Amino acid sequence: MTQERPSEEKPYRRLETQSVLQQIAFRHGLEAMEASENGNLAWVTSGFPVEIPIAMNLGVVYPEQAGAIIGAQKIGPEVSNIAEDLGYSQELCSYARVSIGSTEKPEEVPMGSLPTPQILLACNNICGTVLKWYDAISEMTGAPVFLLDTPPIEKQQLPHNQEYVRRGVERLIEFIGSNFNRKLEEDRIREVAELSSKATRLWIRALEACKTKPSPLNCADRFLTMAPVVSSRGTEHCVEFYESFVSEVEERVKNGIGAIRDEKIRLLWDNIPPWHTLRFFNILASRGVVFPADTYTHAWTGNMVGVDTSSILDQVVGTYSKVYLNMGLDAKVDKMCQLIKDYDLDGFVMFSVRSCKRYSLGQLVSKEIVTERTGVPGVIIEGDMVDSRVYNAAQIETRVDALLEMLM
Amino acid sequence: MNYEGVIEQSSVGLKELVESGEEIIGYIYPHIPLELFMAHGFTPSLIRALPGKASGFEESLQTFACSYIRNLYSQRANGQFLTLAGLLFPGNTCDALQNLGDVWKVRFPDDRVFRLTYPVTRYSQDDSTTKFLTEELRILSETISNTFNRPFLSESYDRAVELVQDFRNSAQFLYSARVVNPKIIPYTEVARFVRTFLTAPTISSVSAVKDAASTVRGTADELGLVDTIETVQQAIKSGNYSGVKLPDDLGTPRIAIAGGMVEPQAIATLVNDMPDISDSFIVLDLLSFGFKTVFTESPSKSENPFLAMAQSVLSAPGEPTHEGLSYRMNAMKELLSNLSIQGLIVCEQSFCDPDQFESPSIERAASKLGVKTVRMPLDPELSDRGRIETRIQTFVETLE
Repeated sequence: MTQERPSEEKPYRRLETQSVLQQIAFRHGLEAMEASENGNLAWVTSGFPVEIPIAMNLGVVYPEQAGAIIGAQKIGPEVSNIAEDLGYSQELCSYARVSIGSTEKPEEVPMGSLPTPQILLACNNICGTVLKWYDAISEMTGAPVFLLDTPPIEKQQLPHNQEYVRRGVERLIEFIGSNFNRKLEEDRIREVAELSSKATRLWIRALEACKTKPSPLNCADRFLTMAPVVSSRGTEHCVEFYESFVSEVEERVKNGIGAIRDEKIRLLWDNIPPWHTLRFFNILASRGVVFPADTYTHAWTGNMVGVDTSSILDQVVGTYSKVYLNMGLDAKVDKMCQLIKDYDLDGFVMFSVRSCKRYSLGQLVSKEIVTERTGVPGVIIEGDMVDSRVYNAAQIETRVDALLEMLM
Repeated sequence: MNYEGVIEQSSVGLKELVESGEEIIGYIYPHIPLELFMAHGFTPSLIRALPGKASGFEESLQTFACSYIRNLYSQRANGQFLTLAGLLFPGNTCDALQNLGDVWKVRFPDDRVFRLTYPVTRYSQDDSTTKFLTEELRILSETISNTFNRPFLSESYDRAVELVQDFRNSAQFLYSARVVNPKIIPYTEVARFVRTFLTAPTISSVSAVKDAASTVRGTADELGLVDTIETVQQAIKSGNYSGVKLPDDLGTPRIAIAGGMVEPQAIATLVNDMPDISDSFIVLDLLSFGFKTVFTESPSKSENPFLAMAQSVLSAPGEPTHEGLSYRMNAMKELLSNLSIQGLIVCEQSFCDPDQFESPSIERAASKLGVKTVRMPLDPELSDRGRIETRIQTFVETLE
């Protein structure tokens, strides 16, 4: 299945299934437009229990993903400027800024502006910013906001926290029900939950395949192929994509084919990637550096299977509350140490994202702890995922060089 | 007196308490049940950002951490905190404070750090929010009890309820009196009373504000304004302004200060340091450490104090950290139009998500009413003081 591309001289190998992604994205875009025209479109945060709106037959789109597309097109600064002209500070989340900017002037953002939402669904398990961002979009579009509040937990989810989130999930079903005059059918939620879990299991299989040497996937591969598990989990076509993706990944493993041609150093990536400069990973690939694991794409690993609506909702409560970003510094450090051990990594790179305070504040401390616990060195580089104005490539290169010198 | 002098003065009471053996639990987020700590025999004290503490955070926090948390961390790193029995961090309010609590535990392992996690949901139309916070408070109380071997005493709770209620009643009266006649007592004085109380909620700090309220009541009585002031007080508490009729001869300009965790006293002294200007143009603030603390309902002496305290905390005027932007904007519009506010100074701390996200909405809401606004980016160090003063002065002049 895996075939060498003509660009043999490139230090990395392109995935065959990557081309299918464009078809999925195109299809997803058309479905979203249709849903919006039919008055059925929800904008959803990436950590939202999307199984519920999908099971209630709403179309869903992810503004964070749209932000990534805007970043990848390198138009982040221009689209941010539109939001900044409306009074939103440049110090705010760049996903939010480009979302506000592209909502204000969609004609200036042909790829990356989303169809008009009828409802805005936010879950604060990934950060507190999402609520304020969706409130701003609500003011602009008139779509109502529903917040699923998942208060951060330490170590374990206490019963009162569980009960509160459970009630929030029930209120979500009532909210969608009353806004769109429909009910959550048990057969449908079971089907969606099953599909969602199946896609997630396949995704995890692909991630875990990277434990082998050479790693069949690099960071950029995962950042691109994570799109369906973020945007389409709970659908048939999402499962189909990951079946063929896993097949390609496992074929690579079987044949000892790595994501990069000459794997020498294995590193962990922490945080959202700089979407505007994904070639960062390819440049490092030419020096034999691969990233077999990262904290970002490992966030979509929950399981949703249950025998009935009630047990599925219990799974929803647990899975979406226990996103590690919602469990504090200790959980994140544990996660990093575990990945370094399981994937046999030589070091780590922490991307300090100015936009993302929940993800980034604490990195200076966790870097020390991770090194202390694992014995591997790490480096912190600073920038932004979408706003390339605050990405200093030369400074980042110097820092990464210093890390590599230690490891070479 | 400059701001540093004011801070020094208001800290005196706290230092005296510490020297006399009182144990202090510091807190950072304004909406905490003071009564809970007092019921355990502790004095809760608001830990604030201070001017002149601009470095010390660099080993643990990036420069894009909000200026408020950088300042707090720097104070602690520089050894400038008083000896505290414990420090309470809020959970689920903003990402910066959430993460600061985690960083703090690692960097200062000897500090006793507690966390009170708040529900963001405010309009759930059921009791899930109150139930959640009630349980959080019960767990916090149990933790304090186990950590210090100091049980929750009902008598102490009842006394605390009375004390805090006395403060709120008097402070609300002063706030309302200034709405009716801003010259009746300087804003600086009201801000100082609130600051002193939040620093050390003691009988003496409450007596001071009660005495001031009594004096103002006397003056208002002579001017025939007491009924109007009480109507305003009730209107602000209930959000129903239908009975409010302000005097015809209101002085101008009438300006309100909006924003979050900005110190009212900092704004007051900034204004008073300006030549040829008095703080009587400030009709009221809408800040977290001022208005929003003062206009929180007090808990009752109920059989379930945790429930009563949860209800009290949740009655505080909404923060941008909560859901309900449209509710907050509507409440603000009601207040601005019914209290004849002509201008709004919108304070926003640098790198503060809640402040910076809310400001454009505040601007738009005010603009719809014809209320002029000026946005005031600032940090606790007031590092750009000259520019801030000029902006305020110019804004006031445009409204005169």
